[in-house]
Amino acid sequence: MASAIRTRGLTKIYRGVVGPAVEALVDLNLDVREGTIFGLVGPNGSGKTTTLKLLLGLIFPTRGSMQALGDEVGSARYRSRVGFLPDGPYFYDHLNADELLHFYGGIFGLRGAELRRRVDELLELVDMAAPDRRRRRVREYSKGMIQRIGVAQAMINDPDLVYFDEPTSGLDPQGSLQMREIILRLRRQGKTVFLCSHLLAEVERICDDVTILNEGHTVRQGSLAELLEGEGLFSVEARQVDEACLAQVRDLAQSVQATDGSVEVVVADEPRALRIADLIRQSGGKVTVIGKRRRSLEDVFIESIEEAQ
Amino acid sequence: MSAVSRIPQYTAQWTRPVLQIAKYTLHEAVRRRFMNVILLFGIVVIASSSMFAAWAPGAELKMIVDTGLGAIRIFGLLMAVFLGAILIPTEIEKKTIHVLLAKPVSRMQFLLGKFLGAYLTVLLNIVLMGLAFLAVMYLKRSAFAGEKAMAFLYPNLAAALVLMMFELLVLTGIAITVSTIASWVFTAVFSFFVYFAAQLRTTLGHLAEPGHYDNPISQGILSVLHVVLPHFEDFDVRQKIIGGEPVLANYVGMCILGALLYTGILLLLGYFVFHEREV
Amino acid sequence: MKRSLRNKLLVWLLIIGGLLLSNPLQEAITRERQLRRYNEPTPIAKILEFEPVAITGVIAGMMLGGFRGTAANLMWMKLDEYWHSEKWHDCLYIMRTVTLLDPHFIEAWKTTSWHLMYNMTVETQDESEKQKYLQEGIDVLKEGISWNPEQYDLYVELGWDYFDKMDDYDQAARWFGYALQFEHPDYVERLLAHGYERLPDIEKALDWYDYCLKRYPFDNTAIGATVTIRERYLEAWRLLQAGSYQQARDLILDHLATDPTGSIGIRLLATIYEREARATRDPAAARRLKGQALREWENLARTYALDSYARRKVLALKQELGLKETPEELERRLAQERRQSMIEREKTGLYGAHEHQPTAPGQ
Repeated sequence: MASAIRTRGLTKIYRGVVGPAVEALVDLNLDVREGTIFGLVGPNGSGKTTTLKLLLGLIFPTRGSMQALGDEVGSARYRSRVGFLPDGPYFYDHLNADELLHFYGGIFGLRGAELRRRVDELLELVDMAAPDRRRRRVREYSKGMIQRIGVAQAMINDPDLVYFDEPTSGLDPQGSLQMREIILRLRRQGKTVFLCSHLLAEVERICDDVTILNEGHTVRQGSLAELLEGEGLFSVEARQVDEACLAQVRDLAQSVQATDGSVEVVVADEPRALRIADLIRQSGGKVTVIGKRRRSLEDVFIESIEEAQ
Repeated sequence: MSAVSRIPQYTAQWTRPVLQIAKYTLHEAVRRRFMNVILLFGIVVIASSSMFAAWAPGAELKMIVDTGLGAIRIFGLLMAVFLGAILIPTEIEKKTIHVLLAKPVSRMQFLLGKFLGAYLTVLLNIVLMGLAFLAVMYLKRSAFAGEKAMAFLYPNLAAALVLMMFELLVLTGIAITVSTIASWVFTAVFSFFVYFAAQLRTTLGHLAEPGHYDNPISQGILSVLHVVLPHFEDFDVRQKIIGGEPVLANYVGMCILGALLYTGILLLLGYFVFHEREV
Repeated sequence: MKRSLRNKLLVWLLIIGGLLLSNPLQEAITRERQLRRYNEPTPIAKILEFEPVAITGVIAGMMLGGFRGTAANLMWMKLDEYWHSEKWHDCLYIMRTVTLLDPHFIEAWKTTSWHLMYNMTVETQDESEKQKYLQEGIDVLKEGISWNPEQYDLYVELGWDYFDKMDDYDQAARWFGYALQFEHPDYVERLLAHGYERLPDIEKALDWYDYCLKRYPFDNTAIGATVTIRERYLEAWRLLQAGSYQQARDLILDHLATDPTGSIGIRLLATIYEREARATRDPAAARRLKGQALREWENLARTYALDSYARRKVLALKQELGLKETPEELERRLAQERRQSMIEREKTGLYGAHEHQPTAPGQ
């Protein structure tokens, strides 16, 4: 599959007049496949927004290369094919939703009936079509409404590549669900989505590939399936485990989490898992789960950060 | 279709975002409270100039012309400087610029669009104040019958207003250009400073001539200032108005051309800086 | 990257091109401003002429640029407040500041000069201070003219001040003459003719009255003046120029017999005596003739209370003749004589008669 975005050695270092240089991003190598949803995750200050800004041509790299949609990043042709929803977006608050979308649509050369139709479609899509919503000034919008209108403007030009920075920020559960559906729909349409988010559960739900950043460096990257694979680990979950049994279990396990008689044990292989299950049963405890361990993205994230530190 | 024949199409394509940004900038600017307050005060001062004139017997016409044109100039100056100073820094501060520049809008198109929007707003206000001023002159015309200035009064006033529009074009250009690298406060103060320092431009030029200063550095600085500062005094034709002599069309034309050139150079410099600026 | 470099190059080329174009354009604009006299820049030399305190006002005015007119107008309005409070010196400061802020404000120059010469001179009894104010008023107008060399107003104002306050008719005629170079109202030629009358230079006065009539054939003042001068004084003037003093005197005395208070006639008669005195080699005759001239000037000074020129002539001739009288004593004497004359007029019903009786034809 062709790459929608490709970066090699992408680096951004901020050098001030006084004080040390700040390495915001170091040697980022990305290959975002076309028609997929790509997630870029990391703690605050890890370089996610820096990466986004570099890919949008808002800031310029210190070194490295970037290419997107077969075009030079920052060129007019490239930007005519992308959409962008920033984190906590600000729009011209004296305009209403209609006017805002007409403004942005006009920049792409959309006019007349075509533009009106597109605006209506998008407002419908983001649930902002009701007259009281579409005619209200942006300054009167709630955070969720601003987010919705932000999605609409990001899609005004039917882009091939859409950048989302914290797309579900400020949305209620229903809104988050609608947002996820929009993103998934984009993938179904063959678009590429580049997603930055803190909400790992959201990323885990929808992303195909993920890159984890920490302090500007890449700590883990790959497809989600690969990242979440348990590396051959097994887990055993049980209740009513006494202390004596727990001591024996600790000797066999890789990690044990115990709270008021309930335990969650991770072991390296299946035989050990079975042996631990036997020990628990013999001590009078009740085994509730025994099987191959599947990790969450949060596990991977924390693990990666800890390793990096 | 040959490349030359596609030029109009490319031009239309290129200017489309500029005009779109200009339109919405104008749309926003005319709704800004401070702009409307300035316009209101401007019209009040112009309307009251006929009252002030009663205190200067023998110089009533001069009083009304000076007050009217002076009010348009000072309020226009305030609008041009403040509007020019806040537009781009506000976009950067509020990050609305991120969404805009992520679209197929080049830095130059953005800069031009903002400049044009700001200037159109100033122009609109100048026209409104100018109409108020001409109305006052028309209402008081019987009091000035026979005065020397009446010979070419209305054409001269129209010329003075047109020149003022282009004087403010330059000032808006200065404010917008400086705002690409500085905060709005610095830009506003700097623009006012340039405006008033430029009134001394010719005198600085005289001082830069050999014989006034022994220090070559001082001479150099004065020479540079003399060259770089805008020629605002060219736009002042008050003496011709009061003296009842015509302001010639060729003079107005040359000043307009000069203003367009100077503003063009300013915007190019602004683009040069803004192109490298990270937002 | 290449595209970015190309764009940068293009921008620099455009900037350089713009700068190259702007230079000749600016020179053309500057030439036009100088040729057509649009607002002129403040010459550096002029700034250096001012006192240090005044320089602030000048520079402030220059920096205000297009606002200097408004600033000057606002100060001019402030003047009204001081005027009604009779703060004459404060008025003067404001007037002076206005002329510095806006040197092309003609009315300000005129009013400042008028205030000095007509108001401030009355506020003081000290003669030297009066003279100082008069001279300052003259200097102010000359400065105003240096800023506004093509405005007739200030030349006329200066001429009038010489005529009315300084009694220097030569200077008056000179400055009225300068005003004629520019567009001016019709009365300027008449003022010039009037100045020549007072000198007296009868022929030049007639020339200018004739010129007035050519421009304005229905100018009654010019008509009246021309007729009067031609009938009464032209011949006498020509005789004076030719050195025929006695004949000139007789002609004038004939006219004065019927119009004993005619100031031109008395002035001309006095001038004839003075010129004859200068022409004669006999000191006793010269002294006698000067005495006659003195009498005529006294006559004029007595008849015309505001004729300070006549007073100056009286004092000058007294000094030449070795007679002592201070200006204050002169004023008192003339005032007394004027009162006496009025009493006699009331008694006799006659306005007064010159002592000479007209010569009948053939006599």
